[in-house]
Amino acid sequence: MPKSERELDRRPDPDSLLALAGQEVRGKLCLFLGAAPGVGKTYAMLAKARTLKAEGVECVIGLAETHGRQETEILAEGLEILPRRKIEYHGRTIEEFDLDAALLRRPKLIIVDELAHTNAPGSRHPKRWHDVEELLDAGINVWSALNIQHLESLADVVSRITGVTVRETVPDRVLRDATDVILVDITPDDLIQRLKEGKVYVPETAKRATQNFFTPRNLTALRELALRRTAERVDDQMVDFLRRGAIEGPWATAERLLVCVGRTTSSESVVRAAARMASGLNASWVALYIERSGQEEQSGEAKKRVDNALRLAERLGAKLERLTGDDLAGEVLRFAREENITQIVVGRSRSGLLARLLRRSLTDEIVRRSTDIAVHVVIPEQPRHERERRRLRLAPPPGLWTGIAGAAVLVALTIAAGQLLDQWLQLPNLAVLFLLPVVLCAAWFGLWPAIAAAALSFLACDFFFVEPRYQFTVTKPQEFLALAVSLAIAVITGMLASRMREHSKNMSSRAQTAQSLFEFSRKLSSAAGLDDILWVAAAHTQKSLGMKSVVMLLPEDDELRIRAAWPPIDQLEAGEAAAARWAFEKSEPAGWRTDTLPNLRLQFRPLTTAGSAVGVAGFEPANMSEPVAPQDERMLTSILEQTAIAIDRSLLAGESVKAAALEENERLRTTLLASLSHDLRTPLASITGAVTSLQQLGDKMPAPDRHDLLNSIEEEAGRLSRFVANLLDMSRIESGALAPRRELVDVAEAVRASIARCKKIFPDFRVSTSVAPELPPIRADANLLGQVLFNLLDNANKYGGPAGASVYARPEAGDIVITVTDQGPGIKPADLERVFEKFYRGGRPDGRKAGTGLGLSISRGLVEAMGGTIRAQSPAVRKRGTRIILRFKAEQRPALAGER
Amino acid sequence: MSKGRVLVVDDEPQIQRFLRPALSACGFEVLAAGTGREALRLIASAAPDAVVLDLGLPDMDGKEVLREARSFSKVPVIVLSARDREAEKIAAFDSGADDYVEKPFGIGELMARLRTALRHAGQRGAGITHFRSGSLAVDFDRRLVTCHGEAIKLTPKEFELLAALARHAGRVLTHRQILAAIWGPAHENDTQYLRVFVGHLRAKIEDDPAAPKLIQTEPGIGYRLTASE
Repeated sequence: MPKSERELDRRPDPDSLLALAGQEVRGKLCLFLGAAPGVGKTYAMLAKARTLKAEGVECVIGLAETHGRQETEILAEGLEILPRRKIEYHGRTIEEFDLDAALLRRPKLIIVDELAHTNAPGSRHPKRWHDVEELLDAGINVWSALNIQHLESLADVVSRITGVTVRETVPDRVLRDATDVILVDITPDDLIQRLKEGKVYVPETAKRATQNFFTPRNLTALRELALRRTAERVDDQMVDFLRRGAIEGPWATAERLLVCVGRTTSSESVVRAAARMASGLNASWVALYIERSGQEEQSGEAKKRVDNALRLAERLGAKLERLTGDDLAGEVLRFAREENITQIVVGRSRSGLLARLLRRSLTDEIVRRSTDIAVHVVIPEQPRHERERRRLRLAPPPGLWTGIAGAAVLVALTIAAGQLLDQWLQLPNLAVLFLLPVVLCAAWFGLWPAIAAAALSFLACDFFFVEPRYQFTVTKPQEFLALAVSLAIAVITGMLASRMREHSKNMSSRAQTAQSLFEFSRKLSSAAGLDDILWVAAAHTQKSLGMKSVVMLLPEDDELRIRAAWPPIDQLEAGEAAAARWAFEKSEPAGWRTDTLPNLRLQFRPLTTAGSAVGVAGFEPANMSEPVAPQDERMLTSILEQTAIAIDRSLLAGESVKAAALEENERLRTTLLASLSHDLRTPLASITGAVTSLQQLGDKMPAPDRHDLLNSIEEEAGRLSRFVANLLDMSRIESGALAPRRELVDVAEAVRASIARCKKIFPDFRVSTSVAPELPPIRADANLLGQVLFNLLDNANKYGGPAGASVYARPEAGDIVITVTDQGPGIKPADLERVFEKFYRGGRPDGRKAGTGLGLSISRGLVEAMGGTIRAQSPAVRKRGTRIILRFKAEQRPALAGER
Repeated sequence: MSKGRVLVVDDEPQIQRFLRPALSACGFEVLAAGTGREALRLIASAAPDAVVLDLGLPDMDGKEVLREARSFSKVPVIVLSARDREAEKIAAFDSGADDYVEKPFGIGELMARLRTALRHAGQRGAGITHFRSGSLAVDFDRRLVTCHGEAIKLTPKEFELLAALARHAGRVLTHRQILAAIWGPAHENDTQYLRVFVGHLRAKIEDDPAAPKLIQTEPGIGYRLTASE
């Protein structure tokens, strides 16, 4: 090998480096591992913590069980101890580790003793090691203690050695993922000595059991387990180190294990065996359960066993797979090849003598057909009560008796038919006729009624149609043979037909699932908006899976809110809200039958897309005691996936609408700036130009030109001043600083004054007026009303064209209506309201017609401040023009002194 | 006598109102147009000697007017524009404007630009071989550059840059125009490049390169070589 290639091969493995990087964010777990209680784990932990504390490391005791041992308690002195959380449970107060307080305190290092402890009901997590995981996720370093007997994969080994059943277990991965493992070890003799001296904490109730537990034999075995586990871990670390440093060495090739989970009670111990093997080989492993197609509806007992075994495998670090197929061994091997499995672990299946004679067991089949994959056959211990279970399994499936009754009826009918035929035609063998009820029973009722029908047929045939008739005796051997053959045919056809029947049932249930999912996606795609999508999803999940209730939550301002629920609810309980939050933040299921808040009635699942969780779906199952059935689980998963995608799509669409609105806003701003600068600059440009012209060229100009320039300067200055006044008005209206006077105003006078002002500025502008005589006054501010009328006339001049404008004022139903009408092109109906918006303007931003875009908006502000209304109407006259209508309440004309 | 005919294109009557008497007082004959169409018609029919063009017109964009006018006329065009529209100015130059004046402007500035444009239009096509401005003299044929009478050594690119500026003396050349003319259209956006060369050139011909008098920067737009008055 050339040198450069060698160099290339020796580069650090990127995966190891990545894993290392991941570790830096997560807190570090240091496990103090012991062979048995009393070896001094807590003592060692606290002693080490004291040293660290002396070195200035922030170290807090989250929980340390000193069990009243003095030397240990002395060690804890001087270290910060978090108060425990008190939980009331069945009238007793239980003290538990306070996870939230620890997360809030956020120390550099926290000590949480007894990793295998089971939390009191109602805690966030069922087990303490879950709490520790959360601390580690939060980046807090944790020290904890564990006895080897609590390791999940060793539970059965330990109970075999010691005879004590271990209930509190910790998954092996916790030990595997720990950054450091410190073995606290003393010899069995020393430990027994300590026990005798009363230095080992033993609860009163367990005194006797403890006597049996602390024997030299047990302790030696446990110690060996602990030592071996630690050694294995050190070995793993070494390999890890070699990989990271790209140090050449003999690395084990990547092994992959597959364990087949069956329906037998022994599958849990097969799983444990596989777990031990996998951890010994440092291999990843998969637990596989294959259902024979058409047999999904098994007894609850078996289903539970499979479920338990799979959950155990998951806890032990396996990946789970469920498949369906007819050729079980074939499926296993196909899956194994696809997944590059190197070793298969199966339990030896124990079947009855008959079954063993009739066909090969699954195990034998796998061993026979596996060509390149090693197969380990584990011989599990057979628990004593297995036999009872077996009998239970043979209990009649529902509907059996109906089937058998049906079989009886069919056979009776066949007998009747046989009698009839026998009278008319002399058939040599009527036995053939009895195939009919057997096949029909098989097709309609299943295997057992078919066998019953076969038996009945056999008897009936013998009784009615075989000589000597009406006796259960068979004389001629060939007739016996015929009967036996017909019975065999009955069984075989019955089995085939029942297989067919189950197959078609299976198919139709699948078709139903597919149909239901198809319907769902159709409903989703026709859903109009986000809320519609969520309603459809909630209702469909509830209906198709028979859930008690379903709720959909989406994040909104940093909080999860219920957006849809079926049946409708509008609030979650505190615990449920916490579980929903957890599911959303960690993208993991929470609540019922999960590791987080399992006491809830609801389970929450994150709605995840490729990016992240977009929301949370919660559901309450109809049956709390059973896990979700596999086929329902598949359906639920696909419903939730589709919902998540639909939500994501809808959110994206919403964002693009928002972006478009922003863009529109931006465009408006640009337009506004352009026109504002144009409006300010044009008068400034004319003034500057005129002034400089007069300065530099004045003496060369004729007098009229000079005069005109001076006039233009005055006019432009006026224009600027009006513009600035408009801007000021606008800001006064907007800030609410406008305080109009409410005096009695004579409308006719106000109209006259504003027209006069208009004439001064636009001498060529024609305005006609018509004011009703004896018009009652209105309550307004004369100055502001004048300003409004002037703005309206200014607009009419700008947009109305040469035809001029007309101003009318008349009483109408207790109101005074003032209108200003022009004969310009008018306003599009869609813009009738928009013209009152600030900076909205007709025409181009730079165009000649453009004004400030403030006139109408100021007018509206002023009119409303005076208690009136203003609106636009277009077309006004003969399909042209715009009419602005002001409406004020008419007031009583005050009685003048001397009148009457 | 008339110094020439100037077409003022602006839709604001008040701008027309002061430009007409001012330009007449300077001896120009003034034509006025309020729209782009009218402007194009007058450029074609009345053959003005110069055009003062506002970019904001009611019927069409000022740049559009320029482009159409350039298809049939070489009349010098001075663009009136606002300071906050740099991009529009550059686009106007690229569409064929000869110069620009920012609004609001003093009449003196406009007149000076107008004179430069008219003089340049007079020289166009006359095959000028020499250029002189202040202490700088350029002999295009002999590729000779002198400053205060002393010959200055320029690299070929520096000479081309100076020559391009000198041929359009008094007027703005945009970065894009200079880059395309000297380095080719592929380099139209390498303004950084240009800045370096202008720096070198200034070091050789300016009396005080830190306060250049000959090559003036038009920020964000381009450069202008000061023409001798």
